Amino acid sequence: MEKILNKKNLPRWIKGLKAFQVYAPSRDGDIWNYALIENPEDITLDYTSTVLSPKTIVFPQREILLKFGTSNDGELEITETLPQQDPSVIFGVRPCDAKAVFLMDKVFGGDFVDPYYWNRRDQIILVGLTCNTPPSPNCFCLSVDGSPHSKDGLDILMTDLGDRYFMESLTEKGDELFNLGKKLFEKPTAKDIKELAKIQADSEKNLKRQIKNIKKIPSLLKDMFESSYWDEASMSCLRCGICTYLCPTCHCFDMNDEVAVTSPIKGQRVRTWDTCQFPDFTMHSSGHNPRPDKASRLRQRVFHKFYYFPERYKNFQCIGCGRCISKCPVGIDIIQVLDGVSDHGA
Amino acid sequence: MVNIEDLRNNAKKLLEDGKVKYIIGFKKAANGLRPVPVFIDKPEDAAKLIWDPLCIHNLTRFLVDEKRRKARQKEPDLRPVGLVVKGCDSRAVNVLLQEKFIDRADIHIIGVSCENTGVVDEKKLAEKLKEKTVEKIEFGDNDEFVVTTDKGKIKVASSEILADRCLECPAHVAVVYDVLIGDHTKRKLDDSYKSLDKMESLTREERWAFWKEQLEKCIRCYACRSACPMCYCDECVVDTITFAVTADTTAEEKAQKIKWIEKSPVLSENFIYHFIRAIHLAGRCIDCGECERACPLDIPLRFLNKKLEKEAKKLFGYDAGFDPEAPSLVSCFKEEDPEDFIR
Repeated sequence: MEKILNKKNLPRWIKGLKAFQVYAPSRDGDIWNYALIENPEDITLDYTSTVLSPKTIVFPQREILLKFGTSNDGELEITETLPQQDPSVIFGVRPCDAKAVFLMDKVFGGDFVDPYYWNRRDQIILVGLTCNTPPSPNCFCLSVDGSPHSKDGLDILMTDLGDRYFMESLTEKGDELFNLGKKLFEKPTAKDIKELAKIQADSEKNLKRQIKNIKKIPSLLKDMFESSYWDEASMSCLRCGICTYLCPTCHCFDMNDEVAVTSPIKGQRVRTWDTCQFPDFTMHSSGHNPRPDKASRLRQRVFHKFYYFPERYKNFQCIGCGRCISKCPVGIDIIQVLDGVSDHGA
Repeated sequence: MVNIEDLRNNAKKLLEDGKVKYIIGFKKAANGLRPVPVFIDKPEDAAKLIWDPLCIHNLTRFLVDEKRRKARQKEPDLRPVGLVVKGCDSRAVNVLLQEKFIDRADIHIIGVSCENTGVVDEKKLAEKLKEKTVEKIEFGDNDEFVVTTDKGKIKVASSEILADRCLECPAHVAVVYDVLIGDHTKRKLDDSYKSLDKMESLTREERWAFWKEQLEKCIRCYACRSACPMCYCDECVVDTITFAVTADTTAEEKAQKIKWIEKSPVLSENFIYHFIRAIHLAGRCIDCGECERACPLDIPLRFLNKKLEKEAKKLFGYDAGFDPEAPSLVSCFKEEDPEDFIR
C-alpha cells in the first residue's frame, strides 16, 4: 500500500496511535539515541545516526529469564518471567538498522524459537526512513547487499520528498498504522512516484565508502584462519566492546544468576549482552582460553560476520551502518580490514 | 616547532641500529581525520610517522599489551620498545615505572612537544567549523591552530578548540624522555581545576541526579577501562572471571569465588564499576582524558578522575606522574598527612 503524508500531518498521525508506545531518535547532548516520545511534536527526523540501534529495544541489553527462590516448605521454586512489551512503534529507523532486526529474527527464530526475543519483537512495528543522504561518512550498506532504501525488516518505509513523505506499507502491521491515520493520507500521484524513484536512485550515489571484492571475502577468509594478518590488523585494538555492543546485528549474550538473598536463596537468572571481544567470553572453566589474544578475537568478529553467518543464513551479518568504524577509539576500520583480506588473498 | 623529519629520522635510525624492536607512534588514517596508532618495525616505514594536533591517543596504553605479549612468548625479544609521547602520556609512563609495571630499560621514550598548545577536541572542532569540511589541522605559531578546510585555511585560537584537559595541563612537554622532538614550551596555566567549578557548585542532591542520569547510560563496553594506561590489572573486578583459574584450581574454589559486581548494566552496578575505577585511579590518573574520549555514550568520566586528582593535590600535595622514584600516593604516608578524616 502506498500513500502520501504531508509533513505537517506527521505529529497528528502519531497522536492517533494511542494504543502504541512511540520511540524515535532523540538528542541527548551531542549524541542521538532512540527514546520514548511523550509529545509527537518533539519528533524530528533530521537526525544523523543514533549511537545505539533499535537493537536496544528489540533485544535489550538485560532480560530477566526466570526468578528462583525457596518456598515456605523448603521447595525450590522457579518462575519463568517472559517480558511484557507494550505494542510499540519505532520511528525513523534507518533501513540498515531494520535489516539488522531482520537478521536477528533469523537467529532467534528458525529451529529454536526464543520466546523472550519474540515476546518483544511481535509487539514492535518498525517505521523506516530512506537515507536520502548517508547519515554517517562511514556508511557502506551497498557493499553488503543493502541500500539506503532497503525494506528488509521494515513495516513501513517513509521517504522524504521535501514537504511530504512517500509512505510504503510493507506488512499487515504497516497497513494497520495507515488505517489509524486514514484521513491524513493521500493517494500518490504519478509525479510522486517518479520523484520517489529519483530520490531513491540518487540516495545510492552519495555513499562514500565500499568494500572491494566483497563477493570473494567469504572464500578468502576460509583459508585465513591461521594467518598472521590478524596480529597485524589487531595491533591497536584496545579490547573494548564498542564495535560489538554498538553493532545492530551482534546478538551474543551471557546468562548469570543474580542472587539477591543467599539463605533462603532468592534471585533471578539474567541474560545480558556479551561480546567476543572480551577475553572472558571464551574462557573455559579449566583456565584455558581458546581465543587468547586480540588477533583471535578480531578474527572471530570478521569470520562471524563475513563467513560463518553468510554460510548459514545466506546474508552477511553486517549491514554497513559504519558504527564500529566511527566509534572505535583507535580507528580500526572493518572496511580496511576486509580490503586487507582481499589484498592478502591476491 | 616539531620538525617531523627529526622524528622520522630519529625513528629510522633507532630501527636501523636495532636499538628498539618496534616504535609505537601515530600515522595518518586511511579514512577520517584523526590519526591512528601505528607500530613500526622496519626503518623504511618510519616515514609514516606523523605528529599533529589530532594525535590524541595515549599510546602508553600499548605498553600493557607489549608486556602481556612478552609474557606469552617463549623467547621474547628483550630490546626496548620505542614510544612517542606527549606530556600527559609521559606522565603515564612515569606512573608505570613508579609502580614497577615496566622497567626503564623496556622503553625508549620519544617525547614530542605540544607546541605551546595541546591536542584538539574533535567535538569543539566540529562545532566551530560546522559548515566546513576539515581536511588538515596543524600547530600554528601564536597559540593557535591552522585548519585547512574545503573553503580555505583558517586560524583558530587554541583556547577555542583545545581539549579541556590541555587547558588544565601542567606538563606541556614530556617529563621523561630519551629524546625530545621540538621545543620545551610552557602554556600559561590559569587554573588546573577550572573544569570542576560547575560540578563543585552543585548540591549533593544535584550531583546525585547528574551522575544518576549519566551512569544510567553506561552499556559497560569497558572502553574507558580499555583505553586507560593505568587499568592494567590481569584480573579486573568487573569481569566474570576475576581470578586466575589454573589447572590446580579446584571446583570448590571456583564455586566459592566472590562476585563483586553483576554484569547487568543497571544503575547500582554501573555506579560500582565507575566508582571502583575512579578510586583505583586516585593518585595515578594523569588526566590524558582517554576514558572520556573513548566513551561512545559521552559520559563525562573525566570529572570523576579530575576531582580525585584535585583531592590528592589538596590533601597530600601529590601530583601523579612527575617522579618515578617517589612512592605512590596510596602506598605511603607522611607525618604531616592530614588525619582529620579519621574518626
